[in-house]
Amino acid sequence: MGLRVTFNGQFRDATTNVERASERLLQFQRQVSSGRRLDRVSDDPSGASSALGERTKIAQVDQFTRSTDSAYSRLTVIDTVLSDIVTKLTAAQVAATSALGTTPTTAQRTAAAEQLDGLKAALLDDFNTSLQGNYLFAGTKSTSKPYVTGSGGTVAAYAGSSTEIQVDIEEDRAVTVSFDGGAITKGSDSTDVFAIMDSLIAAVNAADSTAINSGIASLQNVFGRVTAAQSRVGASMQTLDAEKLRLSATKLASSERLSKLEDANMAEAITGMQQADTAYKAALGAAATAAKVSLMDYL
Amino acid sequence: MSDLLTSLNSAARSLDAQRFGMDVTGQNIANVNTPGYSRRTLDLVWIAPYDKTSAGGGVEVIGVRALRDRLLDRRLQQELPAERREAAIAEALRTVEAAIGRPGESLDVKLNAFFDAFAKLADNPTSSVARQEVLLQGGTLATSFQDMAARLRSAQADSDQQIRAVVDQVNTLTSRISALNATASHAAATGALPALQDEQLYLARQLSELVDVSVIDHGNGVVDITLGNGKPLVVAEHQYDLGTSSTAPLGYASITAGGVDVTSQITGGRLGGLLQVRDVNVPAYLDQLDTLAYNVAAQVNTLHTAGYDQTGTAGVAFFTFSPSIVGSAGAAEALIVNPVVAADARKIAAASITDVGDNQTARGIAALRDARVLNSGTATFTDAWGQMVYAVGRDSKDAADDQATREEIVRQVDQLRDQISGVSLDEEAANLLKFQRAYEANARFFKACEDTIDSLLRNLS
Repeated sequence: MGLRVTFNGQFRDATTNVERASERLLQFQRQVSSGRRLDRVSDDPSGASSALGERTKIAQVDQFTRSTDSAYSRLTVIDTVLSDIVTKLTAAQVAATSALGTTPTTAQRTAAAEQLDGLKAALLDDFNTSLQGNYLFAGTKSTSKPYVTGSGGTVAAYAGSSTEIQVDIEEDRAVTVSFDGGAITKGSDSTDVFAIMDSLIAAVNAADSTAINSGIASLQNVFGRVTAAQSRVGASMQTLDAEKLRLSATKLASSERLSKLEDANMAEAITGMQQADTAYKAALGAAATAAKVSLMDYL
Repeated sequence: MSDLLTSLNSAARSLDAQRFGMDVTGQNIANVNTPGYSRRTLDLVWIAPYDKTSAGGGVEVIGVRALRDRLLDRRLQQELPAERREAAIAEALRTVEAAIGRPGESLDVKLNAFFDAFAKLADNPTSSVARQEVLLQGGTLATSFQDMAARLRSAQADSDQQIRAVVDQVNTLTSRISALNATASHAAATGALPALQDEQLYLARQLSELVDVSVIDHGNGVVDITLGNGKPLVVAEHQYDLGTSSTAPLGYASITAGGVDVTSQITGGRLGGLLQVRDVNVPAYLDQLDTLAYNVAAQVNTLHTAGYDQTGTAGVAFFTFSPSIVGSAGAAEALIVNPVVAADARKIAAASITDVGDNQTARGIAALRDARVLNSGTATFTDAWGQMVYAVGRDSKDAADDQATREEIVRQVDQLRDQISGVSLDEEAANLLKFQRAYEANARFFKACEDTIDSLLRNLS
């Protein structure tokens, strides 16, 4: 005896096949319309979990990129200020040198002294440079001026912190964005640049060539520390340039991996959808044909 | 030797038998769509001759038989609980999946935004905007944890509601089966036994979908039903209700049979699946979520309390729990930003020294994003969240895959059962034709006998 084909069995088979085909079609349709391979976590649990990791990586790279940009703009300002300080120091040395010896007249000395006074004020402004309310040469005490002028025009000792502020531009990699002003103006010397300028002005006015010479030598020390700081800034800026490239490469790689995990392969999805559509129509056709004829029709 | 009248009698009996055959066919066709109906077949037997000059007494109806295969019915009762269990799990976990959200649209984003805010604060520790941003993102993160926990709790409560409903359905089914048992002897006497057995089997099948039961068929129209572990639900005409009792601390239903808690022993059927989701799956997810929330708070607080705020004062805890918790249980639901900090953004500790321009603490907290501080130093916060997402996805996929496989088995067994018990319309049409033609032929025989008697009588007159 052959297989008994029962009405319910036929019906169950037909509906199951139609349901399966339509479910498959729906899956592909969802992929094509949403463009996503992962619609629910259960579509690919391990893929979803990897996608989370990539997203976190991208978020972090974005954050490092923001930090890099912000550090870069601060360092640009610092670099400009340091260049300006170099110019001022050179000008001060030139002015002091012009007052050396016995040739300069009193008027010329006074002029040189006034020029030095002006340069001192300019240097003070430079070291008190602030960006968005933060003093760039005050270390971690960045909310208050590192140098304030007391009574009689004397600049008080460094009020900033010797701790510098760093920001992270990568895991375990940071750049300094707020410098220890004291280390530049004074370093291991006994007096800072402002005191040197004060004594230099006094020496120029007094036509004391020995004192002028020692003042010029002291300025040279400051000059050395400023250019050292400038090379640090330059090196940091180079690091940041390289870092930006690396970050964008990392982000691209992560985004590509994320896309592979989450995005539908359109060519595949569309082909799949067409196949599923054909299968669905075939299942419908088969179901309709199977139920159409019966011996009852011939009685 | 048989006489003409005997022939007439036998022809009349034959006509009855063929008509009865048509009735049975009609009954089969009528019930082609009735769930649980087993096709009936007419059992006929010839009547042996009385002596060597007799051709035989025609045909006799022995009875109507329902065609069933007990093995297949039993197989269905075994497969269905497993299939329905996975279906219930898959269905419930789909809600949980929706609750945890898609990657890139859920807690992972809030975690990243929170650490981003601290990184921005590290870039500019004195900015009040950056401080407000930290408060905002901290608050959003805490709310996300609360919402996530609430959604998991509500999935759990949904399962509990359904468990109570399923227990009611089980009791309804067992009471109907016991009622049928009570009428078994009466049904046997009136020939309604096949119909009664069909209904019993159909009810037992529905019961198997709800909970794993053993069905003991005594064959005389009485079936006994026991829970998988042997607790009786139906013994002859007696029915034993399953009960529910709300159990502390969450008030979820424990299932009792005869006053004994059998919750842990129910593993199959829809009931088993719902219990699995309510008592195993969701609590595990909640536990992972709580651990994550607790550790986020603990790690951030450790750094935050070691730092100094914008007024140069030692930092307070950034996150607290309201209501307070013991261990990590309930951490996600209770996580909030410390109200003291929330009320004053200057209380955020960005510095590790009393200098307000310092950013070490903010940097440290921002770096927690990538720190392997969980699972004894092997997982970051996002890893831990990823593990939870993976667990939900895996469980859901496993249940759905398993259900698909088992559904196919059930379908195959159903098909096999149909091969024996199902109604084939073509077959019934052929049967109809068969009985109809036989009836016509018997009618002719009847007519021939009658004509013979008639002509005999005419000759006599």
